Amino acid sequence: MSELTINHDTKSSGIFKIALNLTVTCLVSGAIIAGVYYLTHPIAVQKEQELEIQSMKELVPEAATTEEVTGEEGLTAALDEDGSVIAYIVEVEPKGYGGAIDMLVAVTPDGAVSNFEIVSADETPGLGTKAAESPFKDQFSGKTSEELQLTKDSSEGTVEAITGATITSRAVTKGMKQAVDRVNTYVEEASQE
Amino acid sequence: MNLWKIFSRGILEENPIFVLALSLCPALAVTSSVATALTMGLTVTFVITMNNVVVSVIRKLVNPKVRVPVYITSIATIVTLAILMLEAFAPELYQSLGIYLNLVVVFAIILARAESFASKNGVLPSLLDGLGMGAGFTLAMIVVGAIRELFGNGSLLGVQILGTWYNPPLLFIMAPGAFIVLGYLVGAMKIYQKKKENREKEREHV
Repeated sequence: MSELTINHDTKSSGIFKIALNLTVTCLVSGAIIAGVYYLTHPIAVQKEQELEIQSMKELVPEAATTEEVTGEEGLTAALDEDGSVIAYIVEVEPKGYGGAIDMLVAVTPDGAVSNFEIVSADETPGLGTKAAESPFKDQFSGKTSEELQLTKDSSEGTVEAITGATITSRAVTKGMKQAVDRVNTYVEEASQE
Repeated sequence: MNLWKIFSRGILEENPIFVLALSLCPALAVTSSVATALTMGLTVTFVITMNNVVVSVIRKLVNPKVRVPVYITSIATIVTLAILMLEAFAPELYQSLGIYLNLVVVFAIILARAESFASKNGVLPSLLDGLGMGAGFTLAMIVVGAIRELFGNGSLLGVQILGTWYNPPLLFIMAPGAFIVLGYLVGAMKIYQKKKENREKEREHV
């Protein structure tokens, strides 16, 4: 079919015309995308921030306010009404099966997991995505750094992996361990000052 | 061909996945649950319809030698617009589809409809063709998704249907399960069409 159309059109289609055709197409396309981006981008940024604040609230429901810790990127303190710290919320990005798993972990000041949430991930639907559901999700509450390993990786570990999604389970567990370790170091440093 | 016919043939007779066997990749990749299958189906419906309209409008302006790059640019633009809109107004949906959204650009069915239908027909038939093909695609995605989610996870749309006695075989959630389900569905479709043909032949004889 393509041969037919080409033969039919050789007279009228010089290289210049073809180039012009493509240039115009790309210009129009670029202009449309730029216009829409200009309009939607501020909304997208705002929505993303709202989502993050909301998921922090969900992580520590008893917190009155959240406050970013100065000088520590990705570390937020959840405070109660008197201004004392209930938990630290740490943003970690362990590498999972389908790229980085962006997650928020709430850690109590004495270094135990209280809750976590997966903000965005590209894990296999139906397998890796089970990391955000019970029963897997329920086993982390109150765990300390040493306990945060898979049972199949270490005798000290207490985390039961999801069948068929060992890599995701390992990544999520590792992310939580990182978060707990970070809070431990931070609390230690802060108390020395 | 009347307008209803143009719309409806995409659903059964020329179903993009079961009959034309185009865009099988997403049919395997995002059908492990009904929800993702449905969102992907609706996104593709939107893109294919929009693109059919655009291609139909510009069909006389585009030089036939460069029509494919022009159509691809048009598809890419529409997909980018869809992504920007989803990001701004439905961030949860945007996150759940993730990387697959960008891949919509290269779905064979969209370019196939632009090339074989919209570039030769007016705006209204092209619009209906896009809607019909999109509906057929969405339907096929939902059927595959429902079977896989029910057998592989014991649930439908995230609601647990089968009790705890059911021990779901992982196979259905993994890619091979998709191939098997798809194979049986294509077979079933063939049987249905054969029977229909036979019935029509008998009618002619009588």
